[in-house]
Amino acid sequence: MSFEPGSFAWLVAHDLRLGWRRFRGIFGSLRARTIAIIIVVGVCLFHAIAWPIGQWFAGLDKSADTARLYYPALASAALFVMPWLISQALTNSTRALYSRGDLNLLFASPLPSRNILAAHAFAIAVESLGSVAVLLVPVVNMNAWFGGPHWLAVYPALLASAFFATALGLCLTLALFVMCGPRLTRVIGQVVATIIGAGFVLALQIIHVLPERLRNDIISSIDHPQPGSLFDRHGPLWLPVRAAAGQLPDLLLWCGVSFGFFALATILLGHRFASSAIRSASASPARRAERKRRTRIFRAGLATSLRTKEWRLLARDPWLISQILLQVIYTLPVAIVVWRSQGDEGSIGISVAPAIVVIASQIAASLAWLAISSEDAPDFLATAPVTRQQVERRKLEAIGLPLMMFLALPIVGLALYSLQVAIITAIFCVAASASTALLNLWHPMPGRRVQVLRRHSQSKFVGIMEHMLSLFWAVAMVLAALGSALTVLAIGAALGVLWFNRPRPPAQYVRIIR
Amino acid sequence: MSEFRSPDTQAIPGLRLAGLRKSFGKVAVDGLDLSVRAGEFYALLGPNGAGKTTTLRMVAGLLPPDEGSVQIFGVDARRDPVAAKRITAWLPDEPMLYDKLDPLEYLEFVAGLWGVEPKRAQDSAVELLEVLELWPHRHELCEGFSRGMKQKVALAGALIHEPKLLMLDEPLTGLDAAIARQVKDLLVARCRAGASIILTTHILEVAERLADRIGIIHHGKLIAEGTLAELREVAGQRNSSLEDVFLELTRPMERAA
Repeated sequence: MSFEPGSFAWLVAHDLRLGWRRFRGIFGSLRARTIAIIIVVGVCLFHAIAWPIGQWFAGLDKSADTARLYYPALASAALFVMPWLISQALTNSTRALYSRGDLNLLFASPLPSRNILAAHAFAIAVESLGSVAVLLVPVVNMNAWFGGPHWLAVYPALLASAFFATALGLCLTLALFVMCGPRLTRVIGQVVATIIGAGFVLALQIIHVLPERLRNDIISSIDHPQPGSLFDRHGPLWLPVRAAAGQLPDLLLWCGVSFGFFALATILLGHRFASSAIRSASASPARRAERKRRTRIFRAGLATSLRTKEWRLLARDPWLISQILLQVIYTLPVAIVVWRSQGDEGSIGISVAPAIVVIASQIAASLAWLAISSEDAPDFLATAPVTRQQVERRKLEAIGLPLMMFLALPIVGLALYSLQVAIITAIFCVAASASTALLNLWHPMPGRRVQVLRRHSQSKFVGIMEHMLSLFWAVAMVLAALGSALTVLAIGAALGVLWFNRPRPPAQYVRIIR
Repeated sequence: MSEFRSPDTQAIPGLRLAGLRKSFGKVAVDGLDLSVRAGEFYALLGPNGAGKTTTLRMVAGLLPPDEGSVQIFGVDARRDPVAAKRITAWLPDEPMLYDKLDPLEYLEFVAGLWGVEPKRAQDSAVELLEVLELWPHRHELCEGFSRGMKQKVALAGALIHEPKLLMLDEPLTGLDAAIARQVKDLLVARCRAGASIILTTHILEVAERLADRIGIIHHGKLIAEGTLAELREVAGQRNSSLEDVFLELTRPMERAA
C-alpha cells in the first residue's frame, strides 16, 4: 500500500517500517520465515499458558458475583499495564528526542512539525501496545473463549490506553525538558520511566510492609468502597476499567478521552517537540569543574592509562550509569517478593542476598561489555603497540572498582544483618561477576555504548548463558548460606556453563574490530 | 620538499610492501609492491575503492594480508606487530577519539599506550595543542568539538609518540585554510626529522605541493609512481596539472573495467 508522500499516513508507515526493522533486529540475521515461525509458536505457547487462567476465571465467574471478581481483576491489570505503557512512552519519547535518527532530516523538510510528531507518537503508541499485548491478549482471548465475548472489550480499551499513555508520556518528556534542560532530561526521564514502570510492583510490596491496621483499612476500602472514594468503581479513575469491562458508554467515553488527548497533545506540542529536539542536538557539553583548569601531571604506564580511561568514560556518562542501575531497580521487586514470601521467619540470606549476587553478575556483564565490546575507538587500540590480551586484561581490571562501588552498600547492609551471610554473598558476588565478565570477554558482541541493555539482541545465546550463570551462582549462594552440600552441585553447574563457553581457537573468534 | 630529504643515503626504507594482497571476496589489493624511503613524503592517490585505505589498514596491523610482506623501517610487521606498531601512527579520515575525554586526557592516554615517558609526553602535548590551536579547549570534552577540531586532536595523538612512519588518510578534510597550513608545516617538519609519511588525499593540489613522490593505485595495483614530472611524462602531458595526469592515468583502467 502506498500513501501520498508527506501525508500523515505516509509518515506513520515510515515510522512503523523502522519499528518493524528494529523488532526484526532482535532476531539477528534470522530469515523472515523463521521469525514468522517463532512468532506463531510464541503466540500459541502464550495461549496455552493462558488456557488454565481462562478456565479458572470462567469457573469462578459462574459461582460468584461477576462484578466482584471482574472489576478487581481488570483494575489490577490496568494498574500494571498503564504505568508500563506510560513508562514505555516516556522512554521512547526521550529516545526520539536524543537519538533523533531521521528526525533531523524530517525537521529539515517542509512538512509540518505536528504531523511529524503525530506520526512518531503513533508509532510509539503501537510499539508500547505491542509490548503489553503480547502478554495480555492471550489471557483476554482465553477468557473470551471460556467466559464470554464481553472480555473482547479489553481490545479497544487497551488500544485507547496506549494512545492515552503515549500522550501523557510525551507531555511528561517535554515537561522534564522544560524543567531540567536538555542535558539532564535524558537521565531523569530514564529514571522516572523506570520508577513508573516498576512502581506498581513496588507499591504492592509497600502495602505488605505497612502496619497491619493501615493495611486492613486499605483492604476494607477496596472491598467496601465509599462512594466518591479512590476505590469507588463508579469514579472517574475507574473509567478505563469500566471500559475494559465492556460497558459501552464508558468504553466510548474512554476512547474519546484517549484519542482526543492524543490528538490535542500532538497538535499542541508538535512545535515544542521540534524545538526541543533541535535544542537537545545543540546542547553544550557539561561544564567541567574549575579545578580541572590546572593541567595535571601525565601518568605513566599502560595499565594506569587503560584503567583511568575506562573509569573516566563511565563516570562522565550518567545516562549509562542510570541504564546499569535499572538492572538493580528491576531486580528489587523480585527480591522483596521473595523476602515477604518467607514471612516473619524469612531469612534475608535466601531472599535479598541472592538478588545481590544476580545484580553483581549482571552489572559485571554490563561493565565488561562496555569495556570490551563497546570500545569507542577499537581501531585506534588495535594500532597501539600492545597485545590484545594486555588490553583486555587491563580493561577487566578496570571494571573492578565501579563494581565494588555498586555493591559496597548492599553488602554492608547485609553485614549489619548477618556477617556470615555478607561474607558468603561477597564471595559469590566475586565468582558470579568474574564468570559473566569472562563470558563477555570470550564472546564479544560489538555495539555502541547506548545499547548496553539491548546488547543481547546480537546474540541471544550469550544472553541465555549470562542469565544461567547468574542463576546458578545465586542458587549456589543460597545453598551455601543454608549450609547444604548441594552447593557443590550448583557451583559445578556454573563452572560447567563457563567451561562450555570457553574460548575456542582464534580462527573461530569474532574479532572486536568493527 | 627535495631540500629536506636525502633518500639515497637512507639504506633502510621507511616502508616496504612486497606482493601485498587482500581480498574480500573481490580483490581489494592485488600484489602491491611499494617502497617509501625514510624521510620521504609519499602521496598515494586513487579513485574511490582503489584499495588505498585497505593498504594502510594492513600496514597499521588492522587487517591481516592474505599474502605479501610489510616492513616498517626494517621491522617485519607480520612477524613482530608490536615492534612495528611502536614506530607507526595511523590517522584515518574518521578521527578515532573518545567523546568523553578532553584533548589532554586523550593525549595522556595515547602516550600511556605507546609508553612515552610522562614528562616528555606532557611537554609534547602542550606544544602540539598550542600549535594546533587547541590549547584553549584542552579541558573541553571532545564530544562538543567540530569535525575539524576532532581531526586536530587525532593528529596530535598520532604525533605525540613521534612515529617514524606516519600514515594519514585524508588528513586535511574539515580543516580551515590556516590550520591546514599549520598541519602541512608539522608534517613537513616530521619528514625533515627523518620520518616517512604516506598520505592519501582527494585534494590533488596537496599531493602536488607536498609530496616527494606520488603513487597512483587502481583496482588494488600500483599503476604509476614517481615525481610529478615523471608522472606527467608517463601520461604524456608535460605541462598539465596532477588532476589531468591522474585522470589520464586512471581513465584507461576505468574503460577496461
